Amino acid sequence: MSDLDDFKATYFDECSELLTELEEQFAAIEAGERTPDRLNAVFRAIHSIKGGGGAFGFAELVAFAHAYETLLDHVRDGRIELSGPVTTLCIRANDIVADFVNAAKTGASLGPAYGDVERHQFDALTSGNAPGGEADAEAPMEDFDIDFVPVMVDLGAAAPAAPEPAEDSFASAPLTVEKGHWEIRFAPHSELYARANDPLLLFRELANFGELTVVARLTDIPPLADFEPFGIYCTWELTLVSPTASAEAIAEVFEFVEGNCELSIAQLPSRAAPAPEPSLAELAQLVAPAAPPDSPALSFAELAETVKQEMPARPAAPAPAPAPAIKLVEAEPAAIADEHEERRAGPEERRNAGVQSIRVDLDKVDRVVNMVGELVITQSMLSQQMDDTLRARYQELVRGLEVLAQTTRGLQDAVMAIRAQPVKSVFSRMPRLVRELATRTGKKIKLETIGEATEIDKTVIEQLSDPLTHMIRNSADHGIEAPDKRLRLGKPEIGTIRLSAEQAGGNILIAVEDDGGGINRERVLQVACDKGIVAADTTPTDEQIDQLIFAPGFSTAEAVSDISGRGVGMDVVLSNIKKIGGSVHVKSRSGQGTRMTLRLPLTLAVLDVMLVKVGPSPYVIPLSSIVETIQCSRADFGRAPSGAKVLRVRGEYVQVVDLSERFQLRGDAELANRFVVLCEAEGGVKIALVVDDIIGQQQVVIKSLEENFESIDGIAGGTILGDGNVALIVDVQGLKASNSLHKNAA
Amino acid sequence: MRVLTVDDSRTILAMLHHTLSNAGFEVLQAEDGQKGLDVLATEDVDVVITDINMPVMDGIEFIKRVRASGEHNSLPILILTTETSQDKRDQGRAAGGTGWIVKPFDPEKLISVIHRVVH
Repeated sequence: MSDLDDFKATYFDECSELLTELEEQFAAIEAGERTPDRLNAVFRAIHSIKGGGGAFGFAELVAFAHAYETLLDHVRDGRIELSGPVTTLCIRANDIVADFVNAAKTGASLGPAYGDVERHQFDALTSGNAPGGEADAEAPMEDFDIDFVPVMVDLGAAAPAAPEPAEDSFASAPLTVEKGHWEIRFAPHSELYARANDPLLLFRELANFGELTVVARLTDIPPLADFEPFGIYCTWELTLVSPTASAEAIAEVFEFVEGNCELSIAQLPSRAAPAPEPSLAELAQLVAPAAPPDSPALSFAELAETVKQEMPARPAAPAPAPAPAIKLVEAEPAAIADEHEERRAGPEERRNAGVQSIRVDLDKVDRVVNMVGELVITQSMLSQQMDDTLRARYQELVRGLEVLAQTTRGLQDAVMAIRAQPVKSVFSRMPRLVRELATRTGKKIKLETIGEATEIDKTVIEQLSDPLTHMIRNSADHGIEAPDKRLRLGKPEIGTIRLSAEQAGGNILIAVEDDGGGINRERVLQVACDKGIVAADTTPTDEQIDQLIFAPGFSTAEAVSDISGRGVGMDVVLSNIKKIGGSVHVKSRSGQGTRMTLRLPLTLAVLDVMLVKVGPSPYVIPLSSIVETIQCSRADFGRAPSGAKVLRVRGEYVQVVDLSERFQLRGDAELANRFVVLCEAEGGVKIALVVDDIIGQQQVVIKSLEENFESIDGIAGGTILGDGNVALIVDVQGLKASNSLHKNAA
Repeated sequence: MRVLTVDDSRTILAMLHHTLSNAGFEVLQAEDGQKGLDVLATEDVDVVITDINMPVMDGIEFIKRVRASGEHNSLPILILTTETSQDKRDQGRAAGGTGWIVKPFDPEKLISVIHRVVH
């Protein structure tokens, strides 16, 4: 990766943080916290995005961000009130900035007019408040530098307008400007030193252009008794011989001391062109007091006089009294500082205090995770190799291996904790979504969030945003009723969507709950029948009906609504969540609301499993879904009316899936010697898996089948066992789903 | 030669770090003015490059405090500005800034500007 790519990666990373920050700030601003701190934070975020964007030449992004920044600047200093419409415009602008950032990231084009509407709105707002807007704001800068005397005395060019002293002597011979001979007069003010500028450094830079002669004028130095500590008594006359230097280049050297000195830069004219490369001696001749009388009269005094005449409007004595100026600089900050401190000791300070952190490339962490995964495998391989004989003979080794196992486990937890992030980063995007949804649907909705600090693997978090957005949209669109209907039903006018996260064992549960009307089962079933998702004559349970909303192609919206619809429905949520090893469960009560729960693995990488044997092959079943195991000889099998095999467990009938049949492997064991692994899929639905043997429990590192091979129905992934064999991970949820579909279709 | 860079943008800090360390500078970093002051309290630096818009303590205030301390009167402080914020640049100078660097900066120009203010 090139350096530039590195910087870009940093930049985009930072942008996404800043965009999140913008969301948070506007959520708070909307909630009434219109504090200067927040407005400043918003301004800074856009400013940073713009600044970095400029470094990479993202012109469109920069142009838009600049216009937006100007608006924010006006808002920040109170020239524009942050009213409702302005807030809405800002929030829209945040989206556009995000789009520009994305476009810059992917190299996509948003079209030339993208964001123009908003930009015009910015302009209208800012120009309305400060007539002339930006252009006007910059104009006074010309006057600002009034005390600076930018003398660019090009006597050659200015000859016709040159004042009298020279005119007679120049009449007889044509005046030619000697290229490359410059005379510079430089009289610093005390501010120049107070700002840590140093004449010596300026001279050094000038010397880079060519040959430089520096003469210090010390005639103004007073007797020691009259010396003022901050008085400036030394001025300089410099002569530069350079074939390359231009007036602009020389002036640029003095750029930082504009206004803090008296400066004149003049190109030396002479009657006859001297040798192309004049010697220093020749030059010295030109500036020496004993210069020939017919050379242009260019004493410092005269030159200064010229300058004054040319700039009548400028203050005649630009040098202010130095000492008070310095006192001012020293006295001011203390007062301002205290005030500043008090004002700023707000949330930002608190946020910045505390945990120290470093930034590490996620790739590096992933490498560690991967290696720890391999270590786990090696460790379990070693443990497996220890048979009883070895155990008896090498007790020390056994103890060592036990410690190794513990340490490995600890290491694994520690590494996973590195990748863990609070779900807040996703939750914080939702208040804004809810607000938008409320506006668009005309409903009144408030969002409650619980457990924002719950941590979950970064890779899982990244996958959460879309499903959550969809679920919340679903709640707002289909769940929460219109305000008048709610009042009629005796519910509070304002509907509530509660977004919560909690850790439960090895899983994270994220729930979206609303107090709306619940799932309209009649209609769901009707639609599912119409669309052929379920057979018309089936009588599914309420729970099964609720699950139908996740069926592919299912969408109850009669007209594809602006919000939830677009042809893709909750099935996308399900498939996204399944992709990251999670599951979705929905629970709905008519008239009271719906709760959708995402069950997500704490981490994507490591899984506690039960190792089983199906036919000749090892399979693993996630331990988290196993309820119990039963020897087949003791199991109470039966037949359902449909002919399907069922298992009776404590009065409950459970579907049976024989894995060797399901995976078309030849099971060589006698039924009596086989085992039933009773699993619980999402929603409390049980399924009994028949396997040939149970080998034991262990941890495995999940390897994606989709990445390495292709997706297989009923298989969630693969893993490498301690002995080097590959085992496939049984997808309990998937088996259950396909099984019930088979049954329904039958 | 040690440079203290003060900016709340990681992108800018990273780019400064790259450019400056390639040019043989030792680079110290701070994310805001207050952290910049903290660094100056314990470290000797030859030049400071600071952003203006920062949380906690902005660049103007930072420069004022550095100058007000009296210990860093001759410490060159360069302000990072954008083309359009000339008023900020002037405020920065008024606070005691030595010079400025316009973002986005050209690496060569950056180094030459530093040499203009550092021995």
